[in-house]
Amino acid sequence: MSEIAPARSAHGQGPVATTRRAVLWVPDWPVVAAMTEAHVRADAPAAVLHGRGLVAVSAAARAAGVRRGMRRRLAQRACPDIAILAHDEGRDARTFEAVAAAAEDVVSGVEVSRPGLLMIPADGAARFHGSEEALAEALVTAVAELAGCESSVGMADGLLAAVLAARSSALVPPGESAAFLADAPVDVLPLAAMERRQREQVEDLVSVLTRLGLHTLADYTALPAGDVLARFGPVGRWAHRVSRGEDVRPPVLRRSEEDVAVGYAFEEPAERVEQLALVAAHVAGLLDAALLEAGVRCGRVRIAATTERGDTLERVWRTDVGSRAGAFARHMTDRVRWQLEGWLSGTAAGPERAPLTSLELTAEDVVPLGSEQAYLWGGVSGADSRAQRTLERVQSLLGADAVLAVREQGGRSPRDRVLTLPWGQESTPSRRIEHPWPGQIPDPAPATVLPVPEPMEVLDAGGAPVVIDRRLRMSAPPTWVRLQADPQDERAAAARRHPSSGGVGRRDDGPAWGLPQPVEAWAGPWPAVERWWSEDASRRASLQVALRRPDGSPGHALLASFTGGRWVLEAIYD
Amino acid sequence: MTTETTPGASQAERLSRARAALAGVQARIGVDAHAGERPVLPLDQHLASLLPEGLRRGQVVAVTGATSLMLALAAQASREGSWTAAIGMPTVGVVAAARRGIDLSRLALIPHPGAQAAEAAGACVDGMDVVLLGERLALSEADRRRLASRARERGGVIIAAGEWTGAHVRLDVERSVWSGLGAGDGRLRERELTVAVSGRRQGGSRRVRVLLDVDPGLRWSRPGARVDVDEEVA
Repeated sequence: MSEIAPARSAHGQGPVATTRRAVLWVPDWPVVAAMTEAHVRADAPAAVLHGRGLVAVSAAARAAGVRRGMRRRLAQRACPDIAILAHDEGRDARTFEAVAAAAEDVVSGVEVSRPGLLMIPADGAARFHGSEEALAEALVTAVAELAGCESSVGMADGLLAAVLAARSSALVPPGESAAFLADAPVDVLPLAAMERRQREQVEDLVSVLTRLGLHTLADYTALPAGDVLARFGPVGRWAHRVSRGEDVRPPVLRRSEEDVAVGYAFEEPAERVEQLALVAAHVAGLLDAALLEAGVRCGRVRIAATTERGDTLERVWRTDVGSRAGAFARHMTDRVRWQLEGWLSGTAAGPERAPLTSLELTAEDVVPLGSEQAYLWGGVSGADSRAQRTLERVQSLLGADAVLAVREQGGRSPRDRVLTLPWGQESTPSRRIEHPWPGQIPDPAPATVLPVPEPMEVLDAGGAPVVIDRRLRMSAPPTWVRLQADPQDERAAAARRHPSSGGVGRRDDGPAWGLPQPVEAWAGPWPAVERWWSEDASRRASLQVALRRPDGSPGHALLASFTGGRWVLEAIYD
Repeated sequence: MTTETTPGASQAERLSRARAALAGVQARIGVDAHAGERPVLPLDQHLASLLPEGLRRGQVVAVTGATSLMLALAAQASREGSWTAAIGMPTVGVVAAARRGIDLSRLALIPHPGAQAAEAAGACVDGMDVVLLGERLALSEADRRRLASRARERGGVIIAAGEWTGAHVRLDVERSVWSGLGAGDGRLRERELTVAVSGRRQGGSRRVRVLLDVDPGLRWSRPGARVDVDEEVA
């Protein structure tokens, strides 16, 4: 998208000067990154699976006959000892930083086009290194030594030619890009698309071109540009220019800033919060000083504490206090204290309690001072920073975990569809909203969702509990519903104490039930069997029930679930 | 100041004279009758019948009987950039809030403020635009009065569940009728609330019907079902 759109806009109308580029390509980057992270040997067969098909295959697996796009089962048939690794775009991008840094050791500015592909303006760098061959050699060596992976370098004028040259490690002489491209099949066009959305559009275009009988780029560039625009739109025009060996935009160089890290090793393992708070203040001060000295500020801070047992307690906090001078150290001290306090007191999840041996603060998303980007929240308008400060104040009053930020995530029951995090902490939702989630309770969503389901009774006309069997057959239509009485309700408590309730001598542990309420209408059951392989497996069938009020008018609606042989109240549509 | 009375003057004439007298007093005292009126937070179109004056800053709105009405009141303001805090509402349905239009990136939950409810609520009233208060908060009457005056001063809006003595507007949900369910079929689709609106400024209360979760599909199958009735109740 982003590369196609400017071609239409005013400043993209004129031709962009075609630059001589070097492209550094690491073959099968997603699988290389995944293997590095999973500590799989480089010569072992491995593949990365996304959705239903493989997106990247290692060289060893390819030799065994595994191809991109195969299903998991086919791949395992072709190569039984293949390691199937998970897809993670964040990991690909993160790990590629090492390659970019290695290349920057050789040249001064690089553009990361996509994880796996680096673009380098070649003119100046080639002059510096003596020749283009020398530059290519220096790049490949640096990447192999510093980042530890194989790569190939190609040079040509224009984007597509350079990318193709890198795949065959070719150095196309200046001015011969068009000839180099002429014989290439149109299938190579998606290689120049850097974004998945854009790539899909280009792939559609390629399939149309193939069906029209235009098999090589020369066939396509022979068409008049105006007709191409009229027939294929902006994508077609972009492809037309790219396949003539022209550039659509100049390379965008970046200057990376290293993460800034400071650490503190305890001489004696520390366990008391007061002790840690002092150290936290000290370390935060150090980080502040280090950032100031480097003339940078950061978008996130990662706090990692290592215990005697070697476990690490790690959290990432978003920060935008750079605009508030002097507040950074205090701000970070609070974060460190909250994180450690919650863990030491056992309220927050984490590894087993043990004395701490070291504390490390890493500033991430480092940018030079003055070139910060505005964050999604905070720091921009007065009201935003005022609200941000208010919440920090409440957090210091009640503790970090008492103020929650919420995000929507995928899930079936209303409770699963919410991700709560302490305010200011960063994490990614584990369940995607876009996934289909069959068995999800349809909208509208209930306004009251009980954090812990409460027992309730769903009775048939005769007063016997309604039962749903494994084949989702209900024993009888629900006629009455009994909810737990409000513990503050004096009348219900008195009725329960009364001998006529049969409660004499009974131990005081069962719930006090309210009066049965008649059911006006109901729908369901919606079955959901989730995570049968794990600890938090659940198997339930849900009903939406609308109640009739004592005066005959319809009342609130409830969401009730039958699970493990009993009914629980999940949510109230109030 | 003397006011001459002419019994023969027409009504319009008397009205204009009264207005002129009022303007004179305002000019002399330097106080505008509308000076105390604060700007209004945006409110959803279909809730306009509930609060014809809008959601005025500095107000306390007490809502009984429906969490979703509280969310709906806060929704439009949140969509247009206001910050919302929900204090003491551990059961609030976040998905419902998002569907009503509350921007989750500007929503903070403080589910269990415990004994420090008054401090937490006070801090939020200072810094946030809309503060939703749950029903079971440890707030004394004095705390509530203090919160209300703080909201008036800082221009926040408090939407409180349950009783609130001295609330500017009180919305009691008397009936909520869900439609869409049958005997084992259908699903919840649309709801009509009957809300009794009373307030400090008005003597009696009036009943208003509001449709929440409007389902256009259901509308088509029952044409002409949407009738909003305002009836005066003593």
